[in-house]
Amino acid sequence: MHRFCSVCVVLFSLVWPCLVQPQTPTSQPLGLTSLHEGNCSCALRLHHTEPTSQEGLVMTSRELNPQFYEASRAGRVVQHHLNTLYGSPFRVYVVTQVHTARTEDTGDDGMKYVLEFSVKDWASEGPECKASAEVLYPRGDVHQPPKVQSSPDGLLQANTSDKEQAFYQRYSAAAGPVSAKDIPDSYGHIDPEMEHFWHLAWVASSFIMLNESSENTLYSLAQVAKVTQLNIQDGQLRFELQVLLHDMVSQNINRWKLQVSWSPADGVQVLEMELLPRCHCKSQTRP
Amino acid sequence: KMKGLVIVLALFLCVFGKETFEGLSDSLLDFWTEPIHDSLAVDVRVPFHSLQAVRAFLGYHEIHYEIMIHDLQDLMDEEQREMMKSRASQPRTTDGYDYASYHTFSEITSFMDMLVQEKPNFVSKLVIGKSYEGRPLNVLKFSTGANRPGIWIDTGIHAREWVTPASGTWFAKKIVSDYGHDTVLTAILDKFDIFLEIVTNPDGFHFTHTSNRMWRKTRKPNDGSICVGVDANRNWDAGFSGAGSSNNPCSETYRGPSAHSEPEVKAIVDFVKSHGNLKAFVSIHSYSQMLLYPYGYTRTPCKDQAELDELAKKAVTDLKSLYGTNYKYGSIINVIYQASGGTIDWTYNQGIKYSYTFELRDTGRYGFMLPANQIIPTAEETWLALMAIMEHTKNNPY
Repeated sequence: MHRFCSVCVVLFSLVWPCLVQPQTPTSQPLGLTSLHEGNCSCALRLHHTEPTSQEGLVMTSRELNPQFYEASRAGRVVQHHLNTLYGSPFRVYVVTQVHTARTEDTGDDGMKYVLEFSVKDWASEGPECKASAEVLYPRGDVHQPPKVQSSPDGLLQANTSDKEQAFYQRYSAAAGPVSAKDIPDSYGHIDPEMEHFWHLAWVASSFIMLNESSENTLYSLAQVAKVTQLNIQDGQLRFELQVLLHDMVSQNINRWKLQVSWSPADGVQVLEMELLPRCHCKSQTRP
Repeated sequence: KMKGLVIVLALFLCVFGKETFEGLSDSLLDFWTEPIHDSLAVDVRVPFHSLQAVRAFLGYHEIHYEIMIHDLQDLMDEEQREMMKSRASQPRTTDGYDYASYHTFSEITSFMDMLVQEKPNFVSKLVIGKSYEGRPLNVLKFSTGANRPGIWIDTGIHAREWVTPASGTWFAKKIVSDYGHDTVLTAILDKFDIFLEIVTNPDGFHFTHTSNRMWRKTRKPNDGSICVGVDANRNWDAGFSGAGSSNNPCSETYRGPSAHSEPEVKAIVDFVKSHGNLKAFVSIHSYSQMLLYPYGYTRTPCKDQAELDELAKKAVTDLKSLYGTNYKYGSIINVIYQASGGTIDWTYNQGIKYSYTFELRDTGRYGFMLPANQIIPTAEETWLALMAIMEHTKNNPY
């Protein structure tokens, strides 16, 4: 059994007016990148660093084709990171496109990717925002999760707090604990009642997917195999989930069991997570 | 018949390896999860006649268990009933076929037979071989004259990629509907035959309907292994056994014991060689939204890279024009990953210049479980890209 340190998430539900600003020149250490289209009310402030060099060390920097897999995989890591910080049953982020990417080999520390990308919240169908971030994949024989740089101010998004409160109230007071399986089902169908549990599973899975990511992985949530509501504890809704995670590179589907808590105030936390053994049997009825 | 129980054995396995269960004869127990570690639970199916002995055994050894399913046969019967209910009305014509839903192998086969029956002078069905489990490998041939060069399209080589055979079915109907009405397609068909294999891996496909929706490979057992199946897109003789495929039968990218060892692959190889005049070859997968050309097994660019890249760019632009769907494009090894023994690397090396692989919708939100209401939009936009490839093939003879 793994114990995962819970991550406290503070959600911003401020809606900022669209900031019309000239593009920050790359000589500035901190970039505020804003979206200029129409009614966008989304600004993303992520830490943008210059290619750093320590005394006497020359950093090898390599420009990447943003369509190619190195950039895509790093973009996916950023996506997982954003979801662990800001995701909820009403907010799930996707990095839609990587615009520019380059690597910096920091030597012992690992390989750093510097990206500019677009991201949007597909759960509440928010606007698409441009942003930048850094991903550092540590080196070493034992796998360590990648580190993503984002500033404390983070992602601003559409106001979902009313919906979150309503959802929280509903399932705190529910007559019986919720339980469901196969979301989506084999035909891609999701019961409207289950949609927000699917979002919750995406966010919770992002903790695992982030943890498991390397330069040689590309994770998605393939399906929620099971969701079971547990008793409320300390004001948090709690659930046990079994999720199937798909890694595009190995094409493996891995089954994870996790215990998750959520409240509007405290966000999603993963309390426990466990990789379940694969079934290699003649009558293989599940991954 | 599956009259039996499934029992979970939990947590006390540290003292007992699988050998302990040889106190009961091996054939009694069907392990659904192997006893591999002392802290991991094990799932076992126990046949009815062994129930007494197994309960006694577990009780004596103080092994904790829970019954997960009391009667497996009941569960399977119930599942069958559910499936029968939703399959109640079969269409009589290809006009009555529901293109916006996912179908079984037998429904798709019926569709193919109906299409041939409706347009016997235009469409025929070739059986190019048999799958491991004996299912026919059916190919639709669309032809308006003899001795023509050909264009090949296949879908469903990976079992879980359901949107691909669903799109393939739609393509078949589209070809029949548009011939004689769409000038570009008509011009293509007046010069080329189109070959369309809709369910390229029927055993795997059937398995995704009945047992495991996430299955990818074929269903041929592997000598000396409990693991079944070969990745049909790593089994071709192009960079076979190189990096980008696995030699482990339990892997999702297991290449197989030798190139073309899978009957599903061998059938296409034999067809391509005996036809001898295919000019384009398109193998369709999901998901990722990509249009890819060779190579997957090596970083060496293929000699037609510039032309294939430009054509890919045009094709994805046409695709995007319909619903705004963004596709990446490039060589397999650059855009997605290194993959050895892949289909289009082999077909390209055979001299079929316009060899492409598609990865259809989406980019991971639903992944393999793409909602059925996206089948037709996916097929429609993909068709525009296919038309770009086919038209270019016609206009650039070689």
